[in-house]
Amino acid sequence: MPSQLAPVATALPLTSQPLPFPPQTGRAGISGFPSPAQDYEPRTLDLNARLIKHPTQTFYLTATGDSMEGWGIFEGDLLVVDRSVTPRLGHILVAMFDEEVLIKRYALYRGTPHLCSAHPHYPPLPLEGTDCQLWGVVRAVIHEYLP
Amino acid sequence: MIGLVDANNFYVSCERVFNPALEGKPVGVMSNNDGCVIARSEEMKAMEIAMGTPAYQLEGLRRRGAIHLLSSNYELYGDMSARLAQLLRDACPEVAPYSIDEMFIYLDGFDDAQCQAIGAALRRRIRRHLGLPVCVGLAPTHTLAKLANHVAKKQPHYEGVCLLHGESLTTQVVLRQLAVSEVWGVGRRLAERLAVSGIRTAWDLRECDPKQLRKRFSVVLARTALELRGTPCLEMNAVEQPRQRIMTSRSFGQSTGVKEELHAALRRHAQRSAEKLRQQGSLARAVMLFLNTNRHRKDQPQLSPSAMIPLAAPTDDTRLILEAVREGLDQMYRPGYTFMKAGVMLLDLVDAQQYQLSLLQPTTKAHPQLMKTVDAINQKMGQGTLRFGMTDADAPWQLRCAHRSRRYTTCWEELMEAGTHPGAIADARARREKQRLAGGKRLAKTRANGFTDHGNEYQQR
Repeated sequence: MPSQLAPVATALPLTSQPLPFPPQTGRAGISGFPSPAQDYEPRTLDLNARLIKHPTQTFYLTATGDSMEGWGIFEGDLLVVDRSVTPRLGHILVAMFDEEVLIKRYALYRGTPHLCSAHPHYPPLPLEGTDCQLWGVVRAVIHEYLP
Repeated sequence: MIGLVDANNFYVSCERVFNPALEGKPVGVMSNNDGCVIARSEEMKAMEIAMGTPAYQLEGLRRRGAIHLLSSNYELYGDMSARLAQLLRDACPEVAPYSIDEMFIYLDGFDDAQCQAIGAALRRRIRRHLGLPVCVGLAPTHTLAKLANHVAKKQPHYEGVCLLHGESLTTQVVLRQLAVSEVWGVGRRLAERLAVSGIRTAWDLRECDPKQLRKRFSVVLARTALELRGTPCLEMNAVEQPRQRIMTSRSFGQSTGVKEELHAALRRHAQRSAEKLRQQGSLARAVMLFLNTNRHRKDQPQLSPSAMIPLAAPTDDTRLILEAVREGLDQMYRPGYTFMKAGVMLLDLVDAQQYQLSLLQPTTKAHPQLMKTVDAINQKMGQGTLRFGMTDADAPWQLRCAHRSRRYTTCWEELMEAGTHPGAIADARARREKQRLAGGKRLAKTRANGFTDHGNEYQQR
C-alpha cells in the first residue's frame, strides 16, 4: 500500500482555482499636473502589510514534524495563519483532527477531499465522516536561516 | 436598536481556542496566584463547583484528571478581547466595550429582521474567525439588551441571538420568569428591599410607577424600570450598583500622541477608578487600559491598543494600580498616533470584606489608613487635591501561576504548535525530553568525573 500512496502528494495539482489575489496593477488615472516630488515620497516596505491581510484574525503558530517539507514547511517554521480566509482546495490548513492540531494540505484524493501531507509515510486523511474542524488557513510560512 | 455581544465563559473559551483537548471537558480558570476559581466552563458549572471555590479544595479532582484547572492568562484574554472589539468595530457603525467580554453595538436604522440577521452573522463570524462562542442580545435599551443576552445564553432554541421589544408577549414572558436581582443595576441588597414591597420579578419592576420608584428608592431604579419598558434613559456608565468592573474613561480636550501626557491621563483615571473601587468596598484582580484614536479622522492612522495587567493579589491600593498603569502603557504605546480617548478598567472585583488574605499570598504594601485619609481629603477639598506622584518601580510582579497556559498571542516563544502529521507534536515532545535527560546525564557524568579526578589528585598528592 505505501508504494501506491507515494506519488499522491506530488501528483496533485497545486490548485485548480485561480490565484486568490489578483496581481497588482500600476496606478492609473491621475489627473492634474503631477508633482515632481511624488516619485520621491519616502516609502518603506512593511512586511506586516504584506503578510498580514487581516490583523485581527491572524495568529502565529510553529510547525512541528517533517511531513510537510515537500511543501516548504520545516520543523520550527513560523506559520502566519489567517482565520478569516475561506478554505479552498490547494490551501494549506490548520485543522483540529482528533484533538490534535494538524497542518495539512487540503486537496482531492481519489475524488474526495482529504488532508494531505507531502511525505509518502503519511497517507492522506479522509475528511468525510470525521469531526475535523478547520482552525485557519496558512497564508505564509517564515523560515529563518539565521538565529 | 442596541446589541450586547457577550462571550460565553470568556476565559475558558480563550483557552479552548488554542487547546482543542479542553473542548467538552470541565475547565476552570483560577484567580491570580491560583487562589480560587473565577471562570468555569458549562461542564464545570454542571458539576456544581461554585464560583470562588478555593483551588486547594479542587486539587484532588484535578490530580485525578476529572477537571482541568488553569492559572489565569491575562495576556491571552486581553489580546482576545482586543481582537473581539476590533472585529466588531470593523463590522458595526459604533461599538462600546463594556467589560473584557461584553461589548455594546449600536445598530440604528435597521429593522428587526435585519438586526437579527446582523446578530446571527456576527455570532457566526466571531466563532469562525476568533474561535470564540458568543451570544447576542438585541433590544431598544441597554438594560433590555442585557436581559436579551441572558435569555439567548440560557435558552438554546434562540440559537444565541435574542431580540426583545419593549412591548411584546415574549418580553412579558421573559420578564415574568426573571428574578429582579438579575436585572442590570439591581444588587442583592436592593433586591431584598424590593421584595419587601412585593417586587420580585423583572416584570413587577417594569410595571411599577417610575415616580413612586424615584421617591422610594432612587432615580437610577426609576430609569431601570423605564428601560425595561423600552424607553432608553440610561447612559452606559450610569449604572451604579453591583459592579463587576469599574471603568473611568474620557475623551481628551485635545488629542495627543505624547507618551507623558497619555500617562498623566491614565494615571488620573486610575486614581479615580481606585477611589470608586474603595467606595464600593471591592478589590481588583487586574487592570485593563485602553487608548483610542479619533475614528472620525479618516486621514489619520487608526489604532485602539489595550493592555491587561494582572495584579499580584487583589488590591485597592492606588499605588499598585498606578504601577500596573505604567507597565501597561509601556506595553501598548506606539509612537506616531494621536489618541483621542484613554480609559482604565478595573476587573474581576472581589468583596474586600469577604476576601481573606491567605498565608500563601504575598503581603502587599496595602495601607488602608493612608488610602482612607487620601479619599477623605479628596472628598472634602475636591477631587484630585491629593494625588500620587511617580511610584517606585521596584515591586516585582511575581505571580504564582503553576498552571498557566502559553501566551499564544503575545509571546514568540510560546506560540501554539501545529503538527504536520498525527503524533508529530507528541514525538517532538518526547524527543526534547530525551535530549534534556541525555544532556542532564552527560552533565552529571562530567561532574562526577571531575569529582573523581579531584579525588585522584588528592590521593596522588
